[in-house]
Amino acid sequence: MAPILDVRNLKAHFHTRRGVVRAVDGIGFSLEKGETLGIVGESGSGKSVTQLSILGLLPTPPLKIESGEALFGGMDLLKASPSQLRSVRGNKISMIFQEPMTSLNPYLKVGTQLVEPLVQHRNLTKKEAWAKAVVSLEKVGIADAKSAMNSYPHEFSGGMRQRVMIAMALTTDPELLIADEPTTALDVTVQAQILDLLKSLQKETGMAIILITHDLGVVAGMADRVLVMYAGKAFEYGTTEDIFYRSQHPYTSALLRSTPRLDTEVGSLPPIGGSPPDLMRLTGGCPFYERCSVRLDDCKEIFPEVKTFANTHRSYCHLKELPQ
Amino acid sequence: MSTTVLSVQNLKVHYPVRKGFLNFSERKFLKAVDGVTIELAKGETLGLVGESGCGKSSLGRAIIRLNKPTAGHVQINGVDFLALKGEKLRRARTDIQMIFQDPYGSLDPRMTVHEILSEPLQAHLKLSRKEMDLRIRQALARVSLRDRALKKYPHEFSGGQRQRIAIARALVLEPKILIADEPVSSLDVSVQAEILNLLKEIKDDLGLSMIFIAHNLSVVKYISDRIAVMYLGKIVEIGDRQSLYQSPQHPYTQALVSAVPIPDPKLERTRQRIAVTGELPSPMNPPKGCAFNTRCPLAVDRCREQAPALETFSDGRWVSCFEVEKKKAAN
Repeated sequence: MAPILDVRNLKAHFHTRRGVVRAVDGIGFSLEKGETLGIVGESGSGKSVTQLSILGLLPTPPLKIESGEALFGGMDLLKASPSQLRSVRGNKISMIFQEPMTSLNPYLKVGTQLVEPLVQHRNLTKKEAWAKAVVSLEKVGIADAKSAMNSYPHEFSGGMRQRVMIAMALTTDPELLIADEPTTALDVTVQAQILDLLKSLQKETGMAIILITHDLGVVAGMADRVLVMYAGKAFEYGTTEDIFYRSQHPYTSALLRSTPRLDTEVGSLPPIGGSPPDLMRLTGGCPFYERCSVRLDDCKEIFPEVKTFANTHRSYCHLKELPQ
Repeated sequence: MSTTVLSVQNLKVHYPVRKGFLNFSERKFLKAVDGVTIELAKGETLGLVGESGCGKSSLGRAIIRLNKPTAGHVQINGVDFLALKGEKLRRARTDIQMIFQDPYGSLDPRMTVHEILSEPLQAHLKLSRKEMDLRIRQALARVSLRDRALKKYPHEFSGGQRQRIAIARALVLEPKILIADEPVSSLDVSVQAEILNLLKEIKDDLGLSMIFIAHNLSVVKYISDRIAVMYLGKIVEIGDRQSLYQSPQHPYTQALVSAVPIPDPKLERTRQRIAVTGELPSPMNPPKGCAFNTRCPLAVDRCREQAPALETFSDGRWVSCFEVEKKKAAN
């Protein structure tokens, strides 16, 4: 099956007065209908910039797409005109963000905001769009959808706001939903509700999801495939099982080992020393070099070529095989 | 029997809130902490978990008198901490120190690390310059920072290092109790383990006791000996870390434990979730009866009328739930 979105060798750099920030530096991934791709990384690893640059949501300059392609339904999003992108965004590709309060307009009623993409992209009349919006609010589990349409965002709790965001993203039946830390601002019991909701909506509509998060537990429960990012680079890419059980990258495995888990007893967690590098001062080598416990001499100067394990699993590391 | 270093009895923190503009007649209270009783043994780490708005931070701050408790008692080593004044209070404060969540906000950007670390010493103790320098260097070594850090400013450090500075600031006074309020939640995952290990190590080496407040149950379980679960200003369950995870009793604890994602795909996909509906009710307007009754899958009429007390359930386990009580009585 042809992938819905196929991103290859994406490089997106910020050109600032202080220098070039290589926020995204050679990222590639693809995903198919009904599939969920988890993108994991710490703050500053470039996971959000990757998505925002694909959708043309970042100002250029300072951002410059240095290379790459992002094929979506036969169109290269990176080369698309602003009006082409507008017809895709919020239509075939929708996005939800971490902070539902800051992504909803506080001055407009929820209904007004929900109707907008339908009128914009589907040429529906206000009335038709209103009816459809009520249905989508019901779908995300908002009990009194009709009165919710006439409420303002501040009248909802955090979890309800995120439901509104999801309803808004899904009114146009997108083929791809990009969810950027959708549950990070929520409490765990509410997080569980929202993740279950996303899963059941995905089953129903067959949409693909890109889930950006720093929480390995969330990825484990949601993703079919995982991309691990660090300092703008792809470190490892594979099925969720590849990443969690057969990781071939020292960063991924160190991250997994240093994360406290509820289900296991460990005397002491092996930490990863140091902290992520300054993106402005990257050399040509592996950005994890300073913190890596199994580094080789080559790692300092040369960023490794891709290594493929099985068909689905790619890792970028000079090591032949990661000692388990 | 271990000695109790900190004992909190029926502590309440109610914030006055005025409803509406220029409406002086109606005084309402936000009951952030509503009758909490906990004890902390020497050398113990007590984890305090709960979701946002449950009052865990208010509790921590009230213990250390950053918030004024509305009612209740706090005893530190047998001394009534809330009754202390002036010089005595100042002296007693060196026994209990706090570490905050955000190392970017809790360190003054215009002070060097040396100034940051000497400020608590100047405020609380009269030490000679030499003694002060010694203490500062000791604290710095404890958190594995080099002496040359002393001349630097907070912005020159990474998040993890800043949190080390904040820990050092708490340690210069050689406290006996640490209250750590979400000390790792603003740090990157790869840096968290380091700070958690450091806190563990310091606590063991210096024989400190600690209250560790966080929303992340996995983190709390890693560092704590016992865990108290808070919901809407009250403690609903206390138990030792392992049994609380393995056999949570209170329906809220059960939901909380089952909602925490575990980084293991096979396990995560086959786990049974105990779903709770809805969200935390507003503490301004808490439900009548048991605070959890609006979301509880087991709630019966009695729960909507009466609030259950925290009752001892089994060895060291305390639960506040009528249904659990009933189950226990039946056995």
